Amino acid sequence: MTVAAPGQLNLDESPSWGSRSVDCFEKLEQIGEGTYGQVYMAREIRTGEIVALKKIRMDNEREGFPITAIREIKILKKLQHENVIQLKEIVTSPGPENEQGKSDGNKYRGSIYMVFEYMDHDLTGLSDRPGMRFTVPQIKCYMRQLLTGLHYCHVNQVLHRDIKGSNLLIDNEGNLKLADFGLARSFSSDHNGNLTNRVITLWYRPPELLLGTTKYGPAVDMWSVGCIFAELLHGKPILPGKNEQEQLNKIFELCGSPDEVNWPGVSKIPWYNNFKPSRPLKRRVREVFKLFDRHALELLERMLTLDPSQRISAKDALDAEYFWTDPLPCDPKSLPKYESSHEFQTKKKRQQQRQHEEMAKRQKLQHPQPHARLPPIQQPGQVHAQMRPGPNQPMHPSQPPPVVAGPGHHYGKPRGPPGGPNRYPQGGNPSGGYNPNRGGGGGYSGGGGSYPPQGRGQPYPGGGGGPRGGGSGYGVGGGANYSQGGAYGGGSGAGRGSNMMGSNRNQQYGWQQ
Amino acid sequence: MADFQTSTHRKKWIFSPQDLVEKYAASNRRAKETLKQYGTTRMEVDVDGTISFPKPQFDINVNAERPATPKSLNCEEEKLMRVFYEQKIQEVCLAFCFPHKIQATAIIYFKRFYLNWSVMEHHPKQIMLTCIYASCKVEENHVSAEEFGKGTQQDHQMILNNEMLVLQSLGFDLIVYAPYRSIEGFVNEMEGFSGARVEKLQNIKEIAKSEVDKYMLTDAPLLFPPGQLTLASLRKANEVEQVLDFERYLENILFRQGSSHSIFELTESLNAIESLVQKLILPTGKDMQHINRKLKNCWDPSSRDEKERDPEKKKRDPEKKKRKSKRALSETQEAPTAM
Repeated sequence: MTVAAPGQLNLDESPSWGSRSVDCFEKLEQIGEGTYGQVYMAREIRTGEIVALKKIRMDNEREGFPITAIREIKILKKLQHENVIQLKEIVTSPGPENEQGKSDGNKYRGSIYMVFEYMDHDLTGLSDRPGMRFTVPQIKCYMRQLLTGLHYCHVNQVLHRDIKGSNLLIDNEGNLKLADFGLARSFSSDHNGNLTNRVITLWYRPPELLLGTTKYGPAVDMWSVGCIFAELLHGKPILPGKNEQEQLNKIFELCGSPDEVNWPGVSKIPWYNNFKPSRPLKRRVREVFKLFDRHALELLERMLTLDPSQRISAKDALDAEYFWTDPLPCDPKSLPKYESSHEFQTKKKRQQQRQHEEMAKRQKLQHPQPHARLPPIQQPGQVHAQMRPGPNQPMHPSQPPPVVAGPGHHYGKPRGPPGGPNRYPQGGNPSGGYNPNRGGGGGYSGGGGSYPPQGRGQPYPGGGGGPRGGGSGYGVGGGANYSQGGAYGGGSGAGRGSNMMGSNRNQQYGWQQ
Repeated sequence: MADFQTSTHRKKWIFSPQDLVEKYAASNRRAKETLKQYGTTRMEVDVDGTISFPKPQFDINVNAERPATPKSLNCEEEKLMRVFYEQKIQEVCLAFCFPHKIQATAIIYFKRFYLNWSVMEHHPKQIMLTCIYASCKVEENHVSAEEFGKGTQQDHQMILNNEMLVLQSLGFDLIVYAPYRSIEGFVNEMEGFSGARVEKLQNIKEIAKSEVDKYMLTDAPLLFPPGQLTLASLRKANEVEQVLDFERYLENILFRQGSSHSIFELTESLNAIESLVQKLILPTGKDMQHINRKLKNCWDPSSRDEKERDPEKKKRDPEKKKRKSKRALSETQEAPTAM
């Protein structure tokens, strides 16, 4: 084969067809790493603009271009909103040389990158920074942006299906954007098919999905919003179940048990009989969160409504008194700017520091200081149990979900190891311990189609970050590398740990107001 | 609101007739030049956009020995070829019982693809299959590549190999708006407007749908927004069924949508769509035989005169094996209706 003379066709900076090369960007730093790919902070050479590059790996794909990437691209191209992450373009890089001998697979062994606008933090990472303390106007500001972005998605018939803190990116202008649309789906009025209920990270998953419904709508995202809202005010995740059964129990303990009165039709949901509580429980939201201010509590009640058809919509939530009473949501621009940090960067810095100290030691100049903060190795469940006791919350002596993979992070990841039967089994046993957390599962979430999972690599990194998505990064999949948390926004593992040890986190949040 | 108005379909993929003529001419010209230079039009495109051609079939420096350049396809022949494979897309999708939107999306992908490329550069048979496969993915109608390959008796690896090329040629603009979906909506509206009987309206739907099937074989989907295609099909159907005064209906639509278009402009568009269908030439078997033979030569001139081939050639051509399998593929095209 001979290569066409450059310039003869279209191969320069802006081809008349196709995509630019990743060489148009200078990779500055890796800011995320998963089993499935990397995310880089990069600078566009021509403009100097800083972006995030998320790699979509193409090798080992029996079904070619990953369906999750197709969905994400499709949806992101459709959604143009200030509170939705912007996909700027798709760029490619040539495959490794001398791969032609391989006859087995796809000839495209190169890489595809999604180019996103760069964001400095994610909500989880930010809230886990040591000493971080959100003000009420700040929380209102974030919540309002979250709801605005989500309302826009819903109006455009897109379900996000993985709303959680690590998928909410925040820049230093205080703007919040929804990211990681890898699990998102369009729902159209003429869509009569069933949707998979194996979506949304466990702690943020609504009761209807846990009970096995396959017909659902925007209300699923609103439950997640409720969980985040309460978490922001409460200072820690409110429903940290370790498996589906426990998740439902926690929900019922907080929100009461569902019955035909408070949730007409609930008894017909597939797994209702398997999961219904043995004794009736009463709703305790007001009691548990009695220190929240009145309007916050009112809104939260309507978000954490068991019956999805009665749950508040994003649009109505934006009209809630909460956002229109003092203290009003602040202007995003007025928010403090935080130094951005990614787990990758902090790790690297730590490593350098260690090396430096080693050297110093050898030179007998000084003794190395013990590190103030290493990423905790303990499992997040223990973190919650031991380090984050909240006065109003019963302790959760729970282990982390056994197969959580972590921390998904926003920009959307090629998801999951070949989760095969475990991730989204077709009509599996509800209590059969499938992997409840998205990070670790196979990639094909929607509709349980016949595409085999596209993940590759290590299944279920044990003891990974909590389903809260402690880790943030650009969503390259719940790799073991993410297990300790924030690849983005300061390393939530580390941050949280020391934070918890150092001071009473609950006070920091000012949730009493 | 993300709909057609804000879509990449509207922004990037609706052209003027002149645009289309130029684009088709440009890719035809490019393929011809390639043929002259390299003796073949077949090219491989790597994921990063690098284009590579087979080794020249002759020694570039020795002009005297250069065999006659094979005859290339002209623009009309290319068009016939595209139409032929667009029909094929309809057939294959029907055979697989795919929902209608699958074929509509696949055909639109196919059309967009060949705005960038000549059929001499990438064989439309392969591209058509890849377009269907991609359409299934995008429209959430999962079919595994292997299953699809089996069903079409084609190498599924070939389908996958072309996938990135197709997606990139589409600029990853994957959401397309087909005229079928809005037939339903307009007819429901016509029901209220005319009070016509249900059976008549059902007929209208059917006629309109088959009318749109024809539009899909023309340039119309690259020239007009899908809503206008739908309206043209409904006007046609209404001529048969006569359920309402169509002009008044159009006026009503324009009024309600607060459209800046005049009824005159809209009618002009509908007329233009109709005349495209009238001008549509479907390729005959004989046409296809002729074109296929030419195309085969463009792809692999060595197949023309086996006897004259340099015995050394085998050694010089590491791609031979690959080409052979490709040839087997193109040979099946001699009997295109076999699928």
